[in-house]
Amino acid sequence: MKLRRPKYLVDPPSSSMNDIAFILIIFFLVCASVEPEDGRTQIIPSSEKNEEQNNTQSIEVGLTPSTATIDGTPYQKEQFKGKISQILSQKETKSERIVVVKSQDDVPYEHWIAMTEIIEKSGGIVTLLLEEEQTIIVE
Amino acid sequence: MILRRKKLEATVPSMAMGDIAFLLLIFIVLLARARDDSHLVWQPATGSELVKPANQNASIVIDKMNITYLNGRPIQNENISDQLSALLGELPPGSRTVLFKVHKDVVAEHFEPAIEAISEAGGELHHVLEPLTAIKTP
Repeated sequence: MKLRRPKYLVDPPSSSMNDIAFILIIFFLVCASVEPEDGRTQIIPSSEKNEEQNNTQSIEVGLTPSTATIDGTPYQKEQFKGKISQILSQKETKSERIVVVKSQDDVPYEHWIAMTEIIEKSGGIVTLLLEEEQTIIVE
Repeated sequence: MILRRKKLEATVPSMAMGDIAFLLLIFIVLLARARDDSHLVWQPATGSELVKPANQNASIVIDKMNITYLNGRPIQNENISDQLSALLGELPPGSRTVLFKVHKDVVAEHFEPAIEAISEAGGELHHVLEPLTAIKTP
């Protein structure tokens, strides 16, 4: 004698579907909103302060796409690190440790950030020297 | 003979609640995306000893194509200072962080005026960088 199994209609519980969808959305939102924010905080003194501090002799660093100069003398990255640390170690006051960075137009950001990082880690305060365009009308 | 009234139960249909929440979420997400800058293409430069910003009030992105964006919207360098000042308002020092996201190959001609504008607006510059260890060697 054959015994047949009864066929049951089994419905998955649909009442919890909304909750599952809700939790999934929150999960995706949290995953999507994680954007990189790690970095380096840099304090650039405002222009008024710079004007006041122009009286004191500050170090001038020039940046080209591959090298850096200190007061006109060119250095490679490793040499630059040593030289700027040496110069800044002799400076005592905050105003003496101001380093004026003048970049050529074609200096890439990656190079600029690497060089300013070296200056700041050596105790320098970075300020920028930008060229201003002025129109002079000659009569 | 006393006829009793049938008691009608008034219940809030809970079946639709999930769908309503779902639609609300999509609406909020769409609104949030309008200020977002995640659609912009830029690759961070590398740095060491990186820190997380204490807060974030605005973000400036300079993408691969040298286009500058303030909070995800394109902006000219000349207008950054004014718009940023309006955004930062009278916030006290320490709460005026501006995230600065620049593609690593963008040149000084494009990013230095933006730095100057942030400084003028009294923003506290936070360069968003990639840790040095994350660089993949071929």
